[in-house]
Amino acid sequence: MPPKTCALCSSARAILKRPKTGQQICKDCFFYVFETEVHNTITEAQLFKPGDRVAIGASGGKDSTVLAHVMKTLNDRYNYGLELLLLSIDEGITGYRDDSLETVKRNQEQYDMSLKILSYDELYGWTMDAIVAQIGKKNNCTFCGVFRRQALDRGAAILNVDHIVTGHNADDIAETVLMNIMRGDIARLGRCTSICTQGEDTIKRSKPFKYAYEKEIVMYAYFKKLDYFSTECIYSPDAYRGHARAFLKDLEAARPSAIIDIIHSGEAFEIKEVVKATQKIQQTCKRCGYMSSNELCKACTLLEGLERGMANAGVTDRARKKMDAEGPAPENLRIIPFFQQPAAPHRTDISIADTST
Amino acid sequence: MSSCGNPSTESDALMSRRPKFDKSKHCVKCKVALGNIVIRHAVYCKECFFSLVAFKFRRALEPFVNAKPDGPRRTALKPAGNLLLGFSGGLGSTVLLDLVHRSYIANRKDELRRDGGKDHPRHDKVWKRVIVCYVELCDALPGRKDKISEVAEAVAQYEGVEFVPLRVQDAFDPLWWRCIYGEDAVSQLRINLENDELTSMLTNPLSTNPLESLRSYLSSLPTSTAVCSALHALTRVLLLHTAAETDSSHLLLGTSLTSLAISLIRGIGQGAGFNIEQEIQEEWLSDIRPPNFDSNDRANENQKGVRVIRPLRDVGLKECAFWAWWEKLRIVGEDRTGWPDSRQEIGGLTKDFIMGLEKDYPSTVSTIVRTCAKLSPRGEVSGKCVLCERPAQEGVQEWKSRISVRTTAQSVDATAPPLPAPLQADNASATRLASHLCYACHTTLTSRSARPPPPLYLSATKTSSTTLPVWVAPRIMRKVGEDEMRATVQEFLIEE
Ligand SMILES: [Zn+2]
Ligand SMILES: [Zn+2]
Ligand SMILES: [Zn+2]
Ligand SMILES: [Zn+2]
Repeated sequence: MPPKTCALCSSARAILKRPKTGQQICKDCFFYVFETEVHNTITEAQLFKPGDRVAIGASGGKDSTVLAHVMKTLNDRYNYGLELLLLSIDEGITGYRDDSLETVKRNQEQYDMSLKILSYDELYGWTMDAIVAQIGKKNNCTFCGVFRRQALDRGAAILNVDHIVTGHNADDIAETVLMNIMRGDIARLGRCTSICTQGEDTIKRSKPFKYAYEKEIVMYAYFKKLDYFSTECIYSPDAYRGHARAFLKDLEAARPSAIIDIIHSGEAFEIKEVVKATQKIQQTCKRCGYMSSNELCKACTLLEGLERGMANAGVTDRARKKMDAEGPAPENLRIIPFFQQPAAPHRTDISIADTST
Repeated sequence: MSSCGNPSTESDALMSRRPKFDKSKHCVKCKVALGNIVIRHAVYCKECFFSLVAFKFRRALEPFVNAKPDGPRRTALKPAGNLLLGFSGGLGSTVLLDLVHRSYIANRKDELRRDGGKDHPRHDKVWKRVIVCYVELCDALPGRKDKISEVAEAVAQYEGVEFVPLRVQDAFDPLWWRCIYGEDAVSQLRINLENDELTSMLTNPLSTNPLESLRSYLSSLPTSTAVCSALHALTRVLLLHTAAETDSSHLLLGTSLTSLAISLIRGIGQGAGFNIEQEIQEEWLSDIRPPNFDSNDRANENQKGVRVIRPLRDVGLKECAFWAWWEKLRIVGEDRTGWPDSRQEIGGLTKDFIMGLEKDYPSTVSTIVRTCAKLSPRGEVSGKCVLCERPAQEGVQEWKSRISVRTTAQSVDATAPPLPAPLQADNASATRLASHLCYACHTTLTSRSARPPPPLYLSATKTSSTTLPVWVAPRIMRKVGEDEMRATVQEFLIEE
């Protein structure tokens, strides 16, 4: 068979088949379309303004490693005028994070960006190893997810940035759409496809890789020779999400556009107004000042449970009630430092914001 | 990202496994009889089960029978037209037919006999006519048996019910269309499936071999998923126009809770999130005017609206199976013969996934349906999709080209492939069908996968263009009849 020419430039030889569209294209055209699609995502949503300080949530895994590279490339190419920083969270999982943090440190040098590493230990007084030692492997993703989200916001506050970008890709978002429908989590379903989320008093958070296929992110890293570490968590993920993920992979195999089609579906609906009215309103945690839908935020509840040896209190309502019944939290309970918003000068005008939390 | 890298991982909504049923062996409803069936942890006796299902059926249907949906108190049921029941011969529609007959035909007769007073206004029939329509797919899918006579027999078990059999190729039959909408509405489009803009043009002369058109259409589709969803859509739209033809104000479908959950996820997996509402309940209006249409007659206009209802939307597949078993109903259809392999196709994969999940997490299907019922479409409607006749969202083509860049600046003009010869012939009438389609239909026609679907027919020849269903062309290019012209300028005409 004669070599195929690239479907886009019609001159170079096609060396890959795009996972997203099935088109056979050359390496340069792949870089071009991949980066252009991220650029389109950023400009369509008007994510940034010149002068913004933007932290890249960097884990050393494929998504954030490629994100750091693409953000740097686009910032230079299109003169976004952004000041880019790296922010890493160290969960304290022995043998899991150590290597990947090395990747982040190397990125720091390559891209000449400043780096902040914030550890669970520093912030909560608990490493994930210590948490798993107490609660076992069940539900540990709950802790990790809640703690990481808050840690990123707090790290961003320390760095005094306007905006955090994370490496969530199209596969993650499509999977989350399916999960939220199957679990009936209507509040999250309403916001999981928005490119940018911002509560009353949290830092803007967005996902420039919202439409980027996981396979193409790996492909980009491969052709750009970016090295990264597998950040597949060594502690078992929850089974239900595992089912959703396997299902999504099957759909993608049947028709590759399925991932993007699910995201399109998620963007094409919203929560009915009558339902919105019944949603809990957002408040701030009375203990740590972080946004919360209850008196105590999820992280504080989880932490109190850990400290009092009733770790499930943050996981199920029943366990929570049981802990409350045992009396109020002791005076000397270890708590998370109070959350202070960064006094950023640009945060007044919001180009895109989804405040329907 | 790794699985726990996602901030939305929280298990407060984690599904927990529960024992199959709660402790008691007695029926939760009457508390006396021993239970015969377990429905989501609750035990029911046979008697209470029947009234429970009948109650769920009426609760999902009756508030929507009158043109203006009812408040909590039920007023007399006065539908604006007849009742059309979409019958596939499967479990759901078999149970539905049984329930419709029992609730609106058999019961009424019993009541009449009991009370004696035939003229009593309370005993007016709710539906003047109840019509059952079956769409035969055997000519579309290889190896399937023609079941029209078997279905006719099953339907004939119920008195007071009419039967209308269709074949799926009727969707391509100008004669069928002419019967409903008259000569003026008949035109056909051919489409070129090679490019994403979907250049299409009028077919002249008309293709008068519907079977050939159907097969060429299905063979041109790029994936197995597309073949299945095209067949679903053809069946659906055939039913809608049959409802219009039979003056039916209501089209009932036998979608159970389980199949509704499956079709909602299947729709989401194909990009049809904008049409979640229609997947649950739909108000459809034929925008093709029938030949006897009188634009001054408001009543006539109202009558053409069809409300699509799924009265079994709260009844699970298992409950349907028990109903059919105890009522000794024969399931004539329910047969996957000829359909593409379910493992290669989004609908089949979704069904397997949901059915599997339901075994371990029994509340999954009802959670899916409950969640989707809380959603409404976001964004503007650009019009009705010419293929599936559902509202299409504005800006989907722009969205697609932004999210998946398919051309580089230099390739756009110079190297774009020229239109194939047959389509170039009459460029004046060529349209880009893409802008008239909803996201999901455009995806059906254009989205490819690594492996093309296995050929459906030995004889099918792949042509560069294929004829579209009869309802597409009249909505894009409508021949304007003399009567309509006259109506438009009526007030300026001086009576002779
Ligand atoms: Zn190229
Ligand atoms: Zn707190
Ligand atoms: Zn009973
Ligand atoms: Zn459509």
